[in-house]
Amino acid sequence: MGATLEIRFHGRGGQGAVVASELLAQAAFLDGKMPQSFPFFGVERRGAPVTAYTRIDDHPIGIRTSITTPDIVVVLESSLLRTQPVTDGLREDGLLLVNTRNPAEELMIPVPVRRAVVDANQIAVAHGLGSPTMPIVNTAVLGALVGASGVVSLKALDQAIDEFVPARRAENRAAAEDGYHAVHVVEANTPFTPPVPQAVGPTLSLPEGPVATLSSELIHTSAWRTLRPVIHLEKCTRCNFCWKFCPDDAFTFDEKGYPVVRAEYCKGCGICAVECPPRVIEMVEEA
Amino acid sequence: MTLKVMSGNYAQSYAACLARVQVISAYPITPQTSIVEKLADLVASGELPAQFVKVESEHSAMQVCVSASALGARTYTATSSQGLLLMHELLHWAAGMRAPVVMGVVNRSVAPPWSLGADHADTMSQRDTGWIQFYAESNQEVLDTVLQAYRLAEDPAIRLPAMVSEDAFYLSHTLEPVEVPDQSLVDSFLPARDARAVLVPGVAARLGSFTGPQQYVEFRREVAKAMERVPEALRQIEKDYQSLTGRFHGGPVEYYRAGDAEAVLVTMGTMTTTARTVVDEMRAEGHRVGLAKLRLFRPFPATEIRELARRTDRIGVVDRSFTFGAAGAAATEVAAALYSGPHHPVLSNFIVGIGGREVTPNHIHAMFDRLLAGKGPEVQWMDLPLPPEEVAHG
Ligand code: SF4
Ligand code: SF4
Repeated sequence: MGATLEIRFHGRGGQGAVVASELLAQAAFLDGKMPQSFPFFGVERRGAPVTAYTRIDDHPIGIRTSITTPDIVVVLESSLLRTQPVTDGLREDGLLLVNTRNPAEELMIPVPVRRAVVDANQIAVAHGLGSPTMPIVNTAVLGALVGASGVVSLKALDQAIDEFVPARRAENRAAAEDGYHAVHVVEANTPFTPPVPQAVGPTLSLPEGPVATLSSELIHTSAWRTLRPVIHLEKCTRCNFCWKFCPDDAFTFDEKGYPVVRAEYCKGCGICAVECPPRVIEMVEEA
Repeated sequence: MTLKVMSGNYAQSYAACLARVQVISAYPITPQTSIVEKLADLVASGELPAQFVKVESEHSAMQVCVSASALGARTYTATSSQGLLLMHELLHWAAGMRAPVVMGVVNRSVAPPWSLGADHADTMSQRDTGWIQFYAESNQEVLDTVLQAYRLAEDPAIRLPAMVSEDAFYLSHTLEPVEVPDQSLVDSFLPARDARAVLVPGVAARLGSFTGPQQYVEFRREVAKAMERVPEALRQIEKDYQSLTGRFHGGPVEYYRAGDAEAVLVTMGTMTTTARTVVDEMRAEGHRVGLAKLRLFRPFPATEIRELARRTDRIGVVDRSFTFGAAGAAATEVAAALYSGPHHPVLSNFIVGIGGREVTPNHIHAMFDRLLAGKGPEVQWMDLPLPPEEVAHG
């Protein structure tokens, strides 16, 4: 492929990672390039990790596979750095862009590449995009991507947002502009250990019969969580409604019968907080 | 003509819109949903003056299309996977009633286990229903083929339904540049449907009702004959389309660097794009390899396959589904076509890309290598963690 620029987006359902990959393709097209973008489809749920891809070239793209050795990785939420192998296959001369409040120097990532950070949550909230607990950060992040890499022109991004974002165009364009100016880049300064490319698709040896022979106890749905429940036990009536309604069976009880959330299963859906009769469960943002 | 970046699904929607469809009926299913969402938008905004009939299942969606088609309407529906399987009974009705319905199908794996990935098992299970079947490689080919499918389906000498298939996600949700022809150009290529030989309100006539053995055989033979006319008609339709748009997708089979090839892979759908790149790389290294893309699967382009066998000694058929108890569906058809021809090249069948598993350049390389190395097992499942398993050809 050589000249094809490959960009991989990691986000959560609801943040607009797929739309980001599409807007980038539209912007590249407006710049006169031949783009391709597509999402990897898993669980279609708010909060679930989502991957999307964009390829950009001067010629039509001659491959139809996911991207395993990206030039650029864009992470729409920093908690994914802990739970997803976002840097897998990232090229030595590549770029990692993360939406985070923290400085780029403090990013805990296994590969010493050029890295960039932007506080896209704050930008999105300032422009009223999404809610403070679930901001829609894609346009701010795309602005930062343009600022850090120049993969497309800011003008083309602006035009793509104007043409293809269905609502709040002015706000989204302003967010992209802010992201463009706010992005902070640090150069790679440590020697590089070549990354191991991500294996293509999981190949598991399967038993005969059912698909899963493992208990769902082993499936940790906590990677989806952006909010977590905090129970104000002093007002808890021990009615067990939270346990009954939790879709992931995340509750156990202490010896006095008070509910305890098992963090590895709680996906942060907030159902317990709604169902709790005295409303003593509060959903708070993940630190 | 305008160049726009769009998904394979929107290429379906815009093609149906350009074809001026009059009745649309569909039930949503991932990954087809955005095709009919877009059409619903176009109908709601008045841009497409059609009737959108909401139904409770795919079975009913096809019934609506068949009935509207019997009254002379140009109809469109789209589905995928389990939805297509639920339609199965009505697919026979559409063909038997000679209803030229055009349907977009997003090729998705069939459950169980539940899965959303690209896989041809859904449409391969409909091979025997009397539908014309196209498989597209790019979003451009999707749009062009839907328009061509209407001309073909409505040809008075054919009058059969046609499905235009695209791989789940690798086309349905992939955005890439597509040339959209102007409405006036499409109108000159695809005139309004010839409304003869359909039901007319107020005139007593029966369609599809009870028939004894004296006539049933003749009805079936008519369908068979109509199918036989498809390749010839398609060649003419593509010629007309090419003179208007400059684009040509190869007729029933598109060859790529196959003229002097020692080994040719027979491919379908999106795997072809990646395979073209690999062919270029291997050619640059001195290997004489090429491709034959099956654009049309029903009717099966047997003449083209026999012609291919005259020029090449090794044919590998790549199937994105498996017919349990036999082999890949395309491989079985290729073998059958070659049996009655004079040339019998080495034939291998590769099973790959099932359930959305990726078909990478490495897989294509490996298939060419095995094909060039000699006579491998007849059917090889690629990309299993174990060495290629030999599977007896039933
Ligand atoms: S938020 Fe509450 S209901 Fe939802 S998964 Fe966590 S503990 Fe269960
Ligand atoms: S639902 Fe609320 S009151 Fe009832 S046990 Fe759970 S936390 Fe306590």
